[in-house]
Amino acid sequence: MKTIEEINQKIKDGDAVVVTAREMTRIVQENGAGKAAEEVDVVTTGTFGAMCSSGAFFNFGHSDPPIKMSRTYLNGVEAYSGLAAVDAYLGATQPHRNPDIGTDYGGAHLLEDLVRGKEVELVAEAFGTDCYPRTDVHTFISLESLNQAIMVNPRNCYQNYAAATNSTEETLYTYLGTLLPQMGNVGYSSAGELSPLLNDPYFQTIGVGTRIFLCGGQGYILGEGTQHATEGERKNGVPVGSAGTLMLQGDLKKMDAKFLRGATMPKYGSTLYVGAGIPIPILNEEIAQRTGISDQDIHCNIYDYGVPRRSRPVVMETNYHDLRSGKIEINGREVQTSPLSSFKKALEVAEELKMWIEKGDFFLTNPVKNIPSQGCTVKPLEIKRPSLLVKDLKIKPIITARAEDAISGVARKMVDNNINHLPVVDHAGRLMGIVTSWDIAHAVAKDSKKLTEVMTKKVIVALEDEPVELIARRIDKHEISGVPIVNRENLVRGMITAEDISRLICSQNKEGD
Amino acid sequence: MKAWLNFSPSIVNKTVISDLIKHYDVSFNILRADITPKGGKMLIEISGTEADKGIEYLEKEGIQLNPIKKVVKKDKEKCVDCGECVSLCPVEAITIADDWTVNLDDQKCIGCGFCKSSCPTKAIKIAD
Repeated sequence: MKTIEEINQKIKDGDAVVVTAREMTRIVQENGAGKAAEEVDVVTTGTFGAMCSSGAFFNFGHSDPPIKMSRTYLNGVEAYSGLAAVDAYLGATQPHRNPDIGTDYGGAHLLEDLVRGKEVELVAEAFGTDCYPRTDVHTFISLESLNQAIMVNPRNCYQNYAAATNSTEETLYTYLGTLLPQMGNVGYSSAGELSPLLNDPYFQTIGVGTRIFLCGGQGYILGEGTQHATEGERKNGVPVGSAGTLMLQGDLKKMDAKFLRGATMPKYGSTLYVGAGIPIPILNEEIAQRTGISDQDIHCNIYDYGVPRRSRPVVMETNYHDLRSGKIEINGREVQTSPLSSFKKALEVAEELKMWIEKGDFFLTNPVKNIPSQGCTVKPLEIKRPSLLVKDLKIKPIITARAEDAISGVARKMVDNNINHLPVVDHAGRLMGIVTSWDIAHAVAKDSKKLTEVMTKKVIVALEDEPVELIARRIDKHEISGVPIVNRENLVRGMITAEDISRLICSQNKEGD
Repeated sequence: MKAWLNFSPSIVNKTVISDLIKHYDVSFNILRADITPKGGKMLIEISGTEADKGIEYLEKEGIQLNPIKKVVKKDKEKCVDCGECVSLCPVEAITIADDWTVNLDDQKCIGCGFCKSSCPTKAIKIAD
């Protein structure tokens, strides 16, 4: 029906009809796709979300005498310099080298500072060669002083994404934000009907070389992003899960901090808010129909992030209309939702790109090559040495105490068996609490006679079919020294202690030698 | 109004708050409290027909009262209106407006600080 060249001629003549994806949804609903395809030339999309897989290449220029940088730090954030002498790549999630600062100032914050025109400290180390004799550098640079600062983001613009909730009893801190206990809230991320790849779900117009809006400047699509997937479930033509991704490129020097922001997901890490917008040429009715997609038609699953495994259980399916309303119902209970990606900023991106095209400052491109719309799946990483499960551990004989046991008897049991933890059980062997040698010392000091007065009743436990790594993290997180192992019926099967885990790691390391 | 009540060690064992509620027509909501034998402070919201008289009474009893004008404040430059904080607010004081701006309602806010600690761009300030 139309070609890119015809649309570009219209843009040149100032006659192109450009609408945002949100406006297009209403136009298609009201006038139908056929009429929309005749009237509209370009649909602009937009997203402004936390995109961890982002970063930039820098070329610092040569000092005199020159250096071949092998370790490079910008404001204390390490950039990868396993490249030519004065090239480096800085990733958004790289934390500050000082652990006290850590994720509060990471690669993403540095990128924002550079874009804001701030001077940043460059520290580099080298081993020195005949041609690059210098071994260290300590100076200040700015975006202007760099030869090149090229943003290259290996995975941006996820086509769709999971929503998250948390069924456990404790607050979780994730890349989908803070998740309250007992499914107290839901975090989601996609820009829905405005999102670029949901408006061209089969990559009919978006391809290698497509010119885009990237963080306030013009950028390009390098190709499909990492973890690009095409075979997932679709509803109304669009994927229900994460699916397609893009690798993007743009000149950091042309970017605007309004559309690029360093951020920190609490207790998770630093990440970069990237504003990206892709123009979709309305070449025919089918493309018009696809850009007419509404939040209501875009489905996604809410997963339970309380299960820290690769396959998390689906709690329910929902759509972006419901998520964006601020409240959804889970198991009959109303739960508040948090977007995490800014819909306001995503709209600004789409509006800005629309304005550029209307003013004739931005022209559309034919893809150099299409992005695969089929045959791509994401393989998991198989651990050659499989995760050891709790039940695989050599469990020592089960030693327990009863709630009515005297303190002195419990103390003796610990000494006789050379242990520091004793699960307390009821008549059927079900877990009631735990006592440690410290609790017993406490009991003696306070002259307590009853075990129930000193035992911990809210016990952190390990299940038999959980991987040992998970238990190690749990022991560390709660700053405890051991956890009882229970089965699904809450019957005590043994104890696993920090010592057991360190011994296990030692023996594994020996095997690996 | 919302205010911090500062308790000196000499008055922590007095029943000032219950006396206040008994004798005056006030509605009283404790938003935060941290009181030890060494004294302490309490963030309260007080309203009702005799709120002013009640406040006078508190001051007469030796409680130092510091009214706070703003409990919560959003730095508009830093905020990207992502909405991460919205679902974390226990009193629904954070809402998304029709133009998708995230708004914090200072009147509703109880100063729990959950939004502040979860903000990805550190754009929220809570009054101490």
